Amino acid sequence: MNNRRFARTAGWLALPCLVAAGLLAWYVTREPATPFAQEPAAATFEPALLSRGEYVARLSDCVACHSLPGKAPFAGGLEMATPLGAIHATNITPDKTTGIGAYSLADFDRAVRQGVAPGGRRLYPAMPYPSYVKLSDDDVRALYAFFMQGVQPANQPNIPSDIPWPLNMRWPIALWNGLFAPTATYAAKAEQDALWNRGAYIVQGPGHCGSCHTPRGLAFNEKALDESGAPYLAGALLDGWYAPSLRQDPNTGLGRWSEAQIVQFLKTGRNAHAVVYGSMTEAFNNSTQFMRDDDLAAIARYLKALPGDPQRDGTPWQYQAVTARQDVPGAHTYATRCASCHGLDGKGQPEWMPPLAGATSALAKESASAINITLNGSQRVVTAGVPDAYRMPAFREQLSDQQIAEVLSYVRGTWGNHGGAVDAKAVGKLRGQTDPASSSPIILQMR
Amino acid sequence: MELRINQKTYEVDADADTPLLWVIRDDLGLTGTKFGCGLAQCGACSVLVDGHVVRSCVTPVAGVIGREVTTIEAIEGDAVGKRVVAAWVERQVAQCGYCQSGQVMAATALLKHTPAPTDAQIEAAMINLCRCGTYNAIRTAVHDLAKQEGV
Ligand code: FES
Ligand code: FES
Repeated sequence: MNNRRFARTAGWLALPCLVAAGLLAWYVTREPATPFAQEPAAATFEPALLSRGEYVARLSDCVACHSLPGKAPFAGGLEMATPLGAIHATNITPDKTTGIGAYSLADFDRAVRQGVAPGGRRLYPAMPYPSYVKLSDDDVRALYAFFMQGVQPANQPNIPSDIPWPLNMRWPIALWNGLFAPTATYAAKAEQDALWNRGAYIVQGPGHCGSCHTPRGLAFNEKALDESGAPYLAGALLDGWYAPSLRQDPNTGLGRWSEAQIVQFLKTGRNAHAVVYGSMTEAFNNSTQFMRDDDLAAIARYLKALPGDPQRDGTPWQYQAVTARQDVPGAHTYATRCASCHGLDGKGQPEWMPPLAGATSALAKESASAINITLNGSQRVVTAGVPDAYRMPAFREQLSDQQIAEVLSYVRGTWGNHGGAVDAKAVGKLRGQTDPASSSPIILQMR
Repeated sequence: MELRINQKTYEVDADADTPLLWVIRDDLGLTGTKFGCGLAQCGACSVLVDGHVVRSCVTPVAGVIGREVTTIEAIEGDAVGKRVVAAWVERQVAQCGYCQSGQVMAATALLKHTPAPTDAQIEAAMINLCRCGTYNAIRTAVHDLAKQEGV
């Protein structure tokens, strides 16, 4: 009797469980809808469409992750360290076997905007589809044309990820997507003008600026994906660099930059406040300098409209001249190692050598960027095909952790800077993590 | 653009961000100033700008428009520079000589602003590298000069 009742109850329970499991299985492997499902395959594409697609690829900086220096463009291979293990960017050339040559426009759209490969396999959100989802249908169509016909096919098999079973199962990403990845393309805000809307489109969508500049939550989700959230582009620590705020924060953001200076920075890699360095060098070398002037103006307009947060940012910086002879630790190192370029007065030689007085890296409480650039120097900034004449050298072999901590504490506490002292332990830690001779230096954690 | 170098005016056709060192050596043929590292690390390229020592490899040429540049070629036209060169000869400082035009510039700038520098001031100012290791001879020569002035 008891047994029979148990069996009956279990039967009643099993049914909804089965249904739920079936629904879950369907949900996590389903191929999402795409507006291109019925679109017939095109044999060839118009040149205008191809060049538009090439431009969208520039805006989206596909090459940064999907290419390795010196290798075939878009053939993949870049290693990205995730908390679960290393993954590698894939071959997105139109090679039929190892690339995406067999993709239809609908397949391509699902991958780019929804993070779903043919067959329902979920991509890792290292691919910034939560941003690319904002791309317009026309831009996706053009991008597809470019990758099918404007890129040379390269036969290069993808490198499998290092992530062990069961963590390498992809279906839970579908649940992550349900929680964190939006599904709608960019919708223009009627109350804003066309310039603002174009800027918002590029910054949120193809430009995926938030991938680096927006802080991430516990699930590695960007805490906001547009201006409706206060953390949007408010600055974030990643890959051993601090990607500063792009909001109107006078210290850690763009509060002291004019729209023209933002345009100049993205176009030439430098302005009176700063020179690109760290991960931004790649974004500049491969992407922002190729943007059209009207698009750069739109980006500047949009960023200038994002309010700062005085609470997070602190008292606005003001230059303070140093008069007395400085006998504090670090001052001598500064005078001998840094002052030739950055000046004893910290004002640099704008726009070629950036000022350290008022620099974000000297005002942000995160000291990672200041330490990293001092240890490892800057990468080559290539503007319009010409490498820069001036570069930050690496002091890894010349200065100890203690000396770097002292000189950076000096820089971050002089000329009105108030970023705070740097601890030698933090220098030591980043020295190890970024050691080019180590087997697993930080390359890229999340993009 | 117009540059004042060694009391002469030169008309130079260069981009604003061209390092002063390249202009001095390549455009004007004043090759006494040397290229060492190009990264502000060695001091071989030191010249005087308005009497202050700067590393010309990291000085965009636009930054010295309207200012007076002095290179090693004209250093003996300067009273202090002349004494520095004499002390260098006296102490036979140079080995290969590659770094020495920069060393002379650094010493001249120091003594122009601080005629009788202390040991600590000498240490702090004479920071150019010398791959031949003439540091002891440099220090002796600068100490000689510091004493001459003190007397
Ligand atoms: S060449 Fe200018 S400091 Fe070395
Ligand atoms: S004398 Fe040879 S480098 Fe100094």
